Amino acid sequence: MTDNILLKNNIAGLEAYFACGGYKPLKKALGMKPAEIIEEVKKSNLRGRGGAGFPTGLKWSLVPPDALGQRYLVCNADEGEPGTFKDRELILKNPHALIEGMTIAACAIGAAHGYIYIRGEFAAETEFLNKAITEARAKGFIGKNILGSGFNFELFTHRGAGAYICGEETALLESLEGFKGQPRLKPPYPALKGLFSSPTVINNVETLAAVPSIIERGGEWYAALGTGKSGGTKLFCVSGPVNKPGVYELPLGTAFKDLLEVNCGGMKPGKVLKAVIPGGSSTPVLTAREASAVKLDYESLAAAGSMLGSGGVIIIDDTQCMVRLLQVLARFYHHESCGQCTPCREGCGWLEKILNRLEEGTASHRDIDLLYSVAEGMTGRTICALADAMALPVMSFVTKFRGEFEAHAAGRVCGK
Amino acid sequence: MPKLTIDGKSVEVPAGRTLLEAAQLLGVYIPRYCYHPKLSISGNCRMCLVEVEKSPKLVTACSTEAAEGMTVLTTSERVIKARREVLEFLLINHPLDCPVCDQAGECGLQDYYMDYSRQKSRFPAADKVQRQKRRAVGPYLMLDNERCILCTRCVRFCAEVTKTSELEVMERADHSFIDLKEGKALDNEYSLNLADLCPVGAFTSRDFRFKTRVWFLKKTPTICLGCATGCEIYAQHNENTLYRLLPRPNAETNTWLCDHGRMTYKTVRAGDRLNKALIRRGLIDLEPALREAATRLDEFKDAAAVLGSPWLSAEDNAALGRLAKDGLKTDHYCFDFSAEQGIKDGILINKDSAPNTAGLKAVKSAYGGLALEDFTTLLAGGKIKTLVTEANAYGLVKAAAAAARVRLIIFALNRGEAPATAHAVLPYASYFETAGTFVNYQGLRRATAAAVEPQPGVWPLWAVVNKLASYSGAELHIDCGEAALEGINFK
Repeated sequence: MTDNILLKNNIAGLEAYFACGGYKPLKKALGMKPAEIIEEVKKSNLRGRGGAGFPTGLKWSLVPPDALGQRYLVCNADEGEPGTFKDRELILKNPHALIEGMTIAACAIGAAHGYIYIRGEFAAETEFLNKAITEARAKGFIGKNILGSGFNFELFTHRGAGAYICGEETALLESLEGFKGQPRLKPPYPALKGLFSSPTVINNVETLAAVPSIIERGGEWYAALGTGKSGGTKLFCVSGPVNKPGVYELPLGTAFKDLLEVNCGGMKPGKVLKAVIPGGSSTPVLTAREASAVKLDYESLAAAGSMLGSGGVIIIDDTQCMVRLLQVLARFYHHESCGQCTPCREGCGWLEKILNRLEEGTASHRDIDLLYSVAEGMTGRTICALADAMALPVMSFVTKFRGEFEAHAAGRVCGK
Repeated sequence: MPKLTIDGKSVEVPAGRTLLEAAQLLGVYIPRYCYHPKLSISGNCRMCLVEVEKSPKLVTACSTEAAEGMTVLTTSERVIKARREVLEFLLINHPLDCPVCDQAGECGLQDYYMDYSRQKSRFPAADKVQRQKRRAVGPYLMLDNERCILCTRCVRFCAEVTKTSELEVMERADHSFIDLKEGKALDNEYSLNLADLCPVGAFTSRDFRFKTRVWFLKKTPTICLGCATGCEIYAQHNENTLYRLLPRPNAETNTWLCDHGRMTYKTVRAGDRLNKALIRRGLIDLEPALREAATRLDEFKDAAAVLGSPWLSAEDNAALGRLAKDGLKTDHYCFDFSAEQGIKDGILINKDSAPNTAGLKAVKSAYGGLALEDFTTLLAGGKIKTLVTEANAYGLVKAAAAAARVRLIIFALNRGEAPATAHAVLPYASYFETAGTFVNYQGLRRATAAAVEPQPGVWPLWAVVNKLASYSGAELHIDCGEAALEGINFK
């Protein structure tokens, strides 16, 4: 098994971080040209860990090198996807990897300012991160003339106010600028016109924290940890009735079976796996049979009709009611839709109302088709992916567990 | 210049144009709610989704720039389906209160429903989100949040055009609603534009609502006389009653119309509108009043004076010029008016509140006359016994005329605007009732058009002048507006 890159035992303090080679990669990066850093990250096949999986090196290279004025680096720490709790763990266990990764990324794209937009509920985590930033600043890893290289980089944390949508990168920028968090129309993309209308790169916590190791040990080494186009390791947050739920760092391409049986110690006694949501609540559900055949990487999960997403693996056992689960999801997305685009604003509420009827036992069989058709009408028709994040689970739940929906439509309501 | 194909027709557009604009050039209409050519692009309504070849998702025509070699489909099955579904989403929480909605007949939801949907609702009425029903927001507007489709045109208008930013979208998801920001009222000088901009019945005009159904209205293109800007407008009317004024967007003067301009139609049917003359504040038919006025003029013919008015058309001023020159045969007249002109608020409202200051220059060059300053001195001097003028213009010489106790023969539309001291007040047809030539601050010469008929016994001012002169023994032969303009040379 590969050693963990991100999650190591208690290296939160600066001394411990130094002990395992911390801030050496930064020194190395400061001696490299920005294009070389980007090239190394491209070679690593590192892809965005926030959910969309966009190649990180490519994202950095989209910032025009000759653009005048400010550029910004933003870290998306607005971890709000139901079933996802990896960034918090990473911030608490290894904050300096994030800070170092951000400084290297800033160096690569020529940003003098960085922001960590952190979820509003993470008050203690923000404190903790601020402490780490202060430590790093005292040692000259951020601030003016970093390690005598002449490169300046200032880093700030900014707490959100509790909206899920602010995890969408352009809504995050709106919120960071002080406006209501609503996704922006794209194009223009943030790489050209992002924060304060300047070129901006936005990366997830986990993505940025992987950068120091890539610089230290080379992109090819990192790529080889994973599989195909999915380079490196990934944090998986396992929740549900397993013996050892929690965050696990595994190379991409690990079989789901291994995660469940080896890492998590299998299902709890008496529980039988029914379904898995593999990448946070927005990703389509897999049946137990589909899940046990799947490998956990971007390509394999896409081929299985789902997504790696944020790595939030939600384990569902056979005592759970799929209708009830979907109702909970729908309530969440209905609450969190920003209300900008018509299909999402109206559709999320509509879906929740249909699911309420099914759950109460007052729905008809026609409502099941209606559920699917409303979800279909929402997909791919909005500015951001929130509508899809609602609609895809609905379509997959209805398709794969239609029997349970029909039982509800026939009046057989679970737990009553 | 990218060249692209829309529905099989090829078109070349300047770089940076959107698909919606490119389609417009071809005469292809793409439905829209949030898009407005004079506001920023929001892209939220999703009504303008079109299919672009090689693009996996439908794209919004309002925000997607035309690119070389694009193949765009605006009526493909996918597009039609998307429109129908977006429209269904818009309607599920809409109250469907069309029978009691004043927007009915000019409603974007009704129109597109007929064009793209025509299906039964799949949403139970009891499940509808309830929002606040009508309430007054500012002096001219009603807001019904339940009918709102959250296209944010109103929010953007207040932020971008008037820059007063009174409105904001509150809350999220399907409980979002448009509301006033704390401590704000919708009292900017352009608020009624929101009633036009709103594609549904959320913002309606407090002045117009429930006065008539819009499908009865006829529209006459004319000019607003609220100030020297001279915005192009439609006067909307039915059965000889004016109901509202709407902007007639054009490149030269205006896209919008100010609230003051919109309300100018009210004088036409105001309670104090004169359809008879007044002699010493007593109502009397026009003809005997004219005989009386003529007698008073004849009493001191060489001591009569005439003052033109920048609130009157070129025709009516020219008639007053003829009265002075050929009727009274006096040199005591004045068509000399000047005012600082230009847009004072960066939008539409002019520094000059009179609509025809520029037009009077042509009358002045044809007839000459005294400078306003000299004319005022003359009045104050006491030599003048009788003054013929229009009520607003009288305001300019009021102090001098009152001090010298000049006998007043005043043209007025409404009793309220005529001075109480006037000996005779003569009614005339407003420019919603008769054509008149006006020159705006940019030098654009345009004519108003008669949208409605004047009341019986009310004539155009030139005709009243013609008759007045004839009672005083001079035939001016002004039989029509054009005749009055004879000899006037607009450059």
